[in-house]
Amino acid sequence: MAALSVSGVTRRGLMWIVLGAPRREFWSQFRKEKKPVVAETVEEVKEEPVLVCPPLPRRTYIPPEDLQRRVESCVKEIFGSSVPSNWQDVSLEDGHLKFGLLVRLADDLGHAVPNSRLHQMCRVRDVLDFYNVPIHDRSKFDELIASNLPPNLKITWGYWAVQKRKC
Amino acid sequence: MLQLVRAGARAWLRPTGCRGLNALAEEAVPQAAKPESVASAGPQVPVLRRCELPVPAPRRPVQAWVESLRGYEQERVGLAELHPEVFSTAPRLDILHQVAIWQKNFKRISYAKTKTRAEVQGGGRKPWPQKGSGRSRHGSIRSPIWRGGGIAHGPRGPTSYYYMLPMKVRVQGLKVALTVKLAQDDLHVVDSLELPTSDPQYLTELARYRRWGDSVLLVDLAHEDMSQNVVAATSGLKTFNLIPAVGLNAYSMLKHQTLVLTLQTVAFLEEKLLWHDSRYTPLYPFRLPYRDFP
Repeated sequence: MAALSVSGVTRRGLMWIVLGAPRREFWSQFRKEKKPVVAETVEEVKEEPVLVCPPLPRRTYIPPEDLQRRVESCVKEIFGSSVPSNWQDVSLEDGHLKFGLLVRLADDLGHAVPNSRLHQMCRVRDVLDFYNVPIHDRSKFDELIASNLPPNLKITWGYWAVQKRKC
Repeated sequence: MLQLVRAGARAWLRPTGCRGLNALAEEAVPQAAKPESVASAGPQVPVLRRCELPVPAPRRPVQAWVESLRGYEQERVGLAELHPEVFSTAPRLDILHQVAIWQKNFKRISYAKTKTRAEVQGGGRKPWPQKGSGRSRHGSIRSPIWRGGGIAHGPRGPTSYYYMLPMKVRVQGLKVALTVKLAQDDLHVVDSLELPTSDPQYLTELARYRRWGDSVLLVDLAHEDMSQNVVAATSGLKTFNLIPAVGLNAYSMLKHQTLVLTLQTVAFLEEKLLWHDSRYTPLYPFRLPYRDFP
């Protein structure tokens, strides 16, 4: 009984092998055709230009000495030659002109007007006042340490970290 | 692909040259002055957006830069005007707090339950006679002063903390949240959420370059408009979340450090939120069909 069943299994196995081999050869052709196609597309994707992040822009801004001259020249470029002598009172109502001027100044000086203050820029004078304010990247503590402190006031940075390590 | 086809079709229907002039002329007329995508235009032509809904006279619209996510340095692609009643309303922090706490609590069902002296197994019999044993008098072994006894004033069954704030309060909460985000420079308007790659690292590097913060909430108009790249990029990130415009809520806006809206989302929000200022009180609930519901 056992011998018969073993022979039956082996016969069936042989049958499977006999039937499977030509099928595998039949399908292997398609498999071979597919593989090179997939590899090509993968390579194409990798060949796209890799986007590299440019270095972070500095947040510190110090107004240059010739700020007024620069702003005036930008105004003349954007508004054309029809700029009155009081160029600081020119209104920025028009979207195109406002956008052009603010983008030109931002690219020139490396410092842009933030969203919260865009609606306050109604005239060129407002833009000038904005760009006259320097921006520092220091924290409040660094500013305090750098400023003139009375002799009985000491600022220790990292005090609590030291205490925690002691405990 | 579909968005490019649609953008191309729209660019054909309206000439790109006089887009800015059209926008200026149609200030009073509430037409859909949607600016086209900058796919065909060069870097010179700005994307300007005007408020479609009328702005009341003494107030003037607030503005925001229109940015692009296609490149690291495309930070000023256009200028968008935002309605002051939505993006520059009174900073009612109390309403914002109410709405945020409501969002946290109205879904809460606490399942805590303790057994009272009646429910604890046993304790029906007087443990010892009232007088004579020398011990203090007791009526059951499961009274609250006994060890193993019931709890006198404990949580009783599933309790629901459901309550609804009036619809106008919730709407005002959304407006205040948007106002606060803009006033604190945490709001960014983008022409569309299209990325050059579906790599999540590109998005993180972009946020780091533009100093957006640790968590960013990206809002598109609907699921159909979201491009594959941004969906794949945000699904790989924990702190960058993408939601449709109908999913915008005050709690999420407070939870994420930065909010990024598309121009279509801004138009959608303005239309939906401003309608409540001048609507009639409902005669039947709004969830039932109305003919002129926005």
